[in-house]
Amino acid sequence: MAAPLRIKRQLAFSPWLFAAPGLLVVGAFVLYPFVSTLVNSFTDRRTLVPGRFVGLANFRELLHDDMFWTGLRNSALYVLGVVPALVVLPLLLALLVQKHIPGITFFRSAFYTPVVASIVVVGLIWVWLLDERGLVNSLLETVGIGRVGFLSDQWLLLLSAMAVTVWKGLGYYMIIYLAALANVPRELHEAAAVDGAGPVRRFLSVTVPAVRSTMVLVAALSSVAAFKVFSEVYLMAGPGGGPAGEDTTLVMLVQRTGTGLTGRVGYASALSVVVFAVTVALMLLVLRADRGEER
Amino acid sequence: MPMSRRALAAAAVALVLPLSACGSGGDDGGSTDASGKVEGDITFQTWNLRANFKPYFEGLIADFEHQYPGTHVKWVDQPGEGYADKLSADAAGGTLPDVVNVSPDLAAPLAKAGLALDLDKAAAKYRPEYLDGAWASHRVPGMNGTYAFPWYLNTGPLFYNKALFTKAGLDPDQPPKTYDELFADGLRMAEKSDGKVATLANVPTIEDFGRYGVPLMNKQGTGFAFNDAKGVQLLTRYKQLYDAKALDPQALTATGESAGKKFLTGAVAMNPGSALDLGNFKKNAPSLYRNIGITDQITSTGHVNMYVMGLMVNSRTRHTPAAVAFAHFVTDARNQMSFAKKVAIFPSTAGSLDDPYFTKEDGTDETRVRIAAAKSLKNAVNYTPVLFSEQMKTALRNEVAKALQGKESPQEALDNAVKAADRLLQQG
Amino acid sequence: MSLLEKTRPDRQAARAREPRVTDRQGRRVRAGELIWRYLLLLAVLALTVGPFLWQLSTSLKGPTEDVYSSPPRFLPAHPTLHNYARVADTIPVWDYALNSLRVAAANVVTNCVGSALAGYALARLRYRGRRATTLAFVLAMLVPVEGIVIAQFTTMRELGLNNTLIGVVLPGAIGAMNVLLMRNAFRNLPYEIEEAAYVDGANVWQRFLRIALPSVKGTLAVVAIFAFMGAWDDFLWPLIVLSDPSKFTLTIGLNYLHGTFANDERLVAAGTVIAVAPLMALFACLQRYFFRGVGEGAVKG
Repeated sequence: MAAPLRIKRQLAFSPWLFAAPGLLVVGAFVLYPFVSTLVNSFTDRRTLVPGRFVGLANFRELLHDDMFWTGLRNSALYVLGVVPALVVLPLLLALLVQKHIPGITFFRSAFYTPVVASIVVVGLIWVWLLDERGLVNSLLETVGIGRVGFLSDQWLLLLSAMAVTVWKGLGYYMIIYLAALANVPRELHEAAAVDGAGPVRRFLSVTVPAVRSTMVLVAALSSVAAFKVFSEVYLMAGPGGGPAGEDTTLVMLVQRTGTGLTGRVGYASALSVVVFAVTVALMLLVLRADRGEER
Repeated sequence: MPMSRRALAAAAVALVLPLSACGSGGDDGGSTDASGKVEGDITFQTWNLRANFKPYFEGLIADFEHQYPGTHVKWVDQPGEGYADKLSADAAGGTLPDVVNVSPDLAAPLAKAGLALDLDKAAAKYRPEYLDGAWASHRVPGMNGTYAFPWYLNTGPLFYNKALFTKAGLDPDQPPKTYDELFADGLRMAEKSDGKVATLANVPTIEDFGRYGVPLMNKQGTGFAFNDAKGVQLLTRYKQLYDAKALDPQALTATGESAGKKFLTGAVAMNPGSALDLGNFKKNAPSLYRNIGITDQITSTGHVNMYVMGLMVNSRTRHTPAAVAFAHFVTDARNQMSFAKKVAIFPSTAGSLDDPYFTKEDGTDETRVRIAAAKSLKNAVNYTPVLFSEQMKTALRNEVAKALQGKESPQEALDNAVKAADRLLQQG
Repeated sequence: MSLLEKTRPDRQAARAREPRVTDRQGRRVRAGELIWRYLLLLAVLALTVGPFLWQLSTSLKGPTEDVYSSPPRFLPAHPTLHNYARVADTIPVWDYALNSLRVAAANVVTNCVGSALAGYALARLRYRGRRATTLAFVLAMLVPVEGIVIAQFTTMRELGLNNTLIGVVLPGAIGAMNVLLMRNAFRNLPYEIEEAAYVDGANVWQRFLRIALPSVKGTLAVVAIFAFMGAWDDFLWPLIVLSDPSKFTLTIGLNYLHGTFANDERLVAAGTVIAVAPLMALFACLQRYFFRGVGEGAVKG
């Protein structure tokens, strides 16, 4: 963009003054610790034992670690399961609450409550609801479906955790979509309506193109978050990650390997580095897909 | 809640800084000599005790400060979850309190890092005040020394649901006494209830193997050995239970807490517990309380399992005499006794268990449970090896789960678990 | 004739015939559509709020009521506040709530100020190193927080800020993601307005404060709410950095409660309600501004 050129005469240091607080905080508390993690990933450091340089040994060990592959699989599945739902459902919800009909502000805030509640609270609530004798199961039994082991089956557990992630994320992304929708000129819809387009057509031909960049943003944000999922699975499947640890996600593995007084900090750092690398790749993939479509 | 949650991945963490630098800034601390004058400000950290016992600890500290003018004790209590994470952050950051509530498996890594005072040196004179077994529980294989004062002990009976026993055609007054009876009753219960009522809610843990008579480590303490024929036998029998749904299907994911809930809701017929649970049953499941049966822990060894808590003295404390004196004060016979009367735990001091409080029946269930537990404690064992870390527990749990699901044979599963634990042990 | 003009007479005719429910722009909403809209809204409402109400109901059940009964009883037979009193007896829940409030409020201020400043620099100012700065924030957003907690703690200790509420606030004081949100918002503003001010002799601070900032109020509201919730919900970091129970925040207090009374579903439920209720109340009061801000179109992808 050429525009900034036109406003260029300014005190030379002021841009840095603007950026300094942010850079300082992010640098000291995020980037610097992360660089340490990078360094540690090449050592055999443990929580209370300083490490020695071990080269790529940690990364080689990863390749033969079944748990690593389980974690990678689950985190990847989580992205595949959660991201489409979080791109589409909140958009539909935003369309539902967009019209200013009476009481709509109440509904909007109500839909936002799961976002407001802390993940810990949410975990407690859902574990209690999905318990074998919890509310959901006794309702299922009443309608004749019978009890379902949401919290005991490896795949149902993962699905339940995904459902909770989506449940908690709906309101968050709904807000982002609401803002985007407010920018869609009403005339576009009206024009389409006059042309005889039904609601579905209008959704596909007017709404979706208009909020496309927001959808990409949501896809990027939610896929990064989904790949790094920890709390939901940890709370619902337990610290061990479900039956035989089969529901362990990568970040859970980082936590389990590296924490506590006997934590293998070096190895866990190597895992963190992998998580970081995949996240960056995911982000690039989403942005690339976006650009590809534009072409 | 949940959370040691968020991971502390703490680990992952990395400190570029050498540990010594973060260790303790400049004050490299403390002497091991506890003979000086008892004075100064110290910090005392407990593990999830404030909510229930605030007045007790405040009184305790006031007594100590009164007895030793010039001392000041600051009490901090940490939540139950994330305790190990908190300790490791403090240990790495050099902010470990002076007197710290630990369990043996937490004391071991701290001792190895040189952060725990060797009490055989600094507090040898107090040793006769404690039960031998309790004093020895904070020894670390491979090191000479004892790294925490023994504090409270806990053990408890096995509770069972008489109504469920009756329904399955079992005699509610004849609970299982041996493993054979336990497994037979479990299978019968599952059969009669069509798989709806399980007898046990937990998969076998390391202490279950110990109680079954499996040798957990080799004689030298250099490697694990629970993959012997006996261990395989126990796991094979659990698999039979699991296949018959006599072991709760959710056991593979269950935590101790949800197992307790299952017992409360009548989904599971037996659950280990302590005298503390009786009050909980009374309040949360009155119908269960009317049908509660109480029996002894089942063992093949004749020694029940006990849990031990200790008080570690930070080796870098600036006030070694005060810290040692305080840790001893909290764990001495008088104060342990008054703590025991507040809650269903047991003192680790010699002779305390002969107190009438632990021997005289008064007709209530609580007292009956307490007396039985106190009696069994005299030869109880803390089966969990001191070096059995959190990571090893996870490895064992996962392998056990694979065996129960039939993905591996019990022998393969235990071989893998031993291999993983040995590897972690060597790195440790 | 434009399309708009073509449709207008219809609408006015309809409005004249009978009073209708209309939206804010004055467009009517047909009765049939209205009904299915409300039905859908109620269905979603049941899904999003139902679980909280179940928790509320559990928390109001008295000690004699079996909370595990099946089929479930939705309403407490004898509602009681006893469980709330017990929570307050067990932990100084109001002190903890106040601590949480302080941390959250500070987090809102630092995030709004810091990310607005940095976002403006990234979007509107030209200087050497701008791309590098942007990259730093993008990278920071991608770092898995779970992996760096102890390193953060060590840094905090070196600054002498462990066991202080400032230490709780600092690492999240200016979130990288918030900076990028603000950058996007500023970028979407037309340059022309600022140019005019520039020509009038306004310096960079004046342009930022008087022109750019007021135009991104909506995004600022979003940043504020996210910052508030992030601080309010955080568990791991306050747990690590705080030792002194008098400084604990509500999530740690709640953890306490759960650790101590894991099997007392009523008490835990009361604790969760206490943790959630203030946020809901606050949000209910502010949502008007929040949604209006959002509606002004500040967040664009």
